[in-house]
Amino acid sequence: MAKQVAKKADNTTRWIVIAMVSLVVVTGVVFSLFGQSSKESASIAALDGYTLKPAVTSTIDPNNGSAITFDNGAVTTIDVWEDPQCPVCKFFADANGDYLDSLIREKKATVRYHVLSFLGDESVRAANASFCAADEGQYLDFHKALYTVQSQLENSGFWSNESLVNIGKKIGINSTKFEDCVTKGSKVDLVQANSDSMSKYGVQGTPTVFINGKLWERTQNEFVLEEFKAAVENG
Amino acid sequence: MKRFLVSNQPWITLLFRLILGGVLLAAGGLKVGKPTESANATGAYKILPTDLAHLVGYALPWLEVAVGLLLIVGIMVRYSAIFSGLLMIIFIGAIASVWARGMLIDCGCFGGGGEIDPSLKSQVHRAYFTEIMRDLGLALCALYLYFFPYGKFSVEKSAQPIEEK
Repeated sequence: MAKQVAKKADNTTRWIVIAMVSLVVVTGVVFSLFGQSSKESASIAALDGYTLKPAVTSTIDPNNGSAITFDNGAVTTIDVWEDPQCPVCKFFADANGDYLDSLIREKKATVRYHVLSFLGDESVRAANASFCAADEGQYLDFHKALYTVQSQLENSGFWSNESLVNIGKKIGINSTKFEDCVTKGSKVDLVQANSDSMSKYGVQGTPTVFINGKLWERTQNEFVLEEFKAAVENG
Repeated sequence: MKRFLVSNQPWITLLFRLILGGVLLAAGGLKVGKPTESANATGAYKILPTDLAHLVGYALPWLEVAVGLLLIVGIMVRYSAIFSGLLMIIFIGAIASVWARGMLIDCGCFGGGGEIDPSLKSQVHRAYFTEIMRDLGLALCALYLYFFPYGKFSVEKSAQPIEEK
């Protein structure tokens, strides 16, 4: 096939067009990048003035996938499978997190949090930090703080060990033990054990919730507290 | 077939410009207002290092809009055709790579993106196939435009007069 030839080579116009296109693209990228990182640093401010609630001791239950377990002898058991970076988990936590906290604190249900980390390195770090917070008896508050500041961009560099320690400090977890645990990644074995247990329970995504061993699924588009409450109360 | 493609060249060039440019403009336009979603979508392919994948996710919608507009109005069609042809080949490679690695994701081609529940495995595999075929078709449009960039209703004109029937 013979190639068509342009009327006349107009290099000036060509370069102007190329320059304009590049300018638009570069401007777009710069705005997106800065918009993202400024949103992330602003989100930390949402934790200002957070008051840490009384510690609740949890155990690690190797027979149940090494989940963070709040066993208070209650009949009802709830298993929650989450990845700290999963956006839908944030919706679940925003709607039902406080209710789950109250069930644990008022000893109305045994709750097991299975902390998963399939969304990348920052999930692994946040999961590790979650187990560190559990050692301090502060998993519930740390869990809440993580979802409060969760970045919409996965693995954006936001959840470094340093900023996870900072998030802890912001809500009042100040011990050097917690800091060491986060920075050294002391709990990666537990993180791995939680991931490995997914297939055993047939969990394929997050959030996955079992009430008394039965899979619970929302019927509405959004998580509604009343719907979840009713499901828990009816067992 | 070849004779048809050559004798109706100005109109076919216009048609292919509108198809290729239209798809790019739509794909870019739907993503340009949602940079985070787009960056997550490119991250989900797990081909590039995460930071680089995010950068591509931010840049791609803008590039698609720009090249789509150039094709539609008919400026630098040959260069835009080379660019979009290469882009389609990259897309085909990326989807094939995801498929071969057994991952289940939404391509994020027109927005959306990210991992998909394994229960939808067969639907996702069908989607991969459709996407590859679509991108192959668009790559062929780009190839034609590389050889015949000048057609009807184009800002840039050909040196040879377009023969009217």
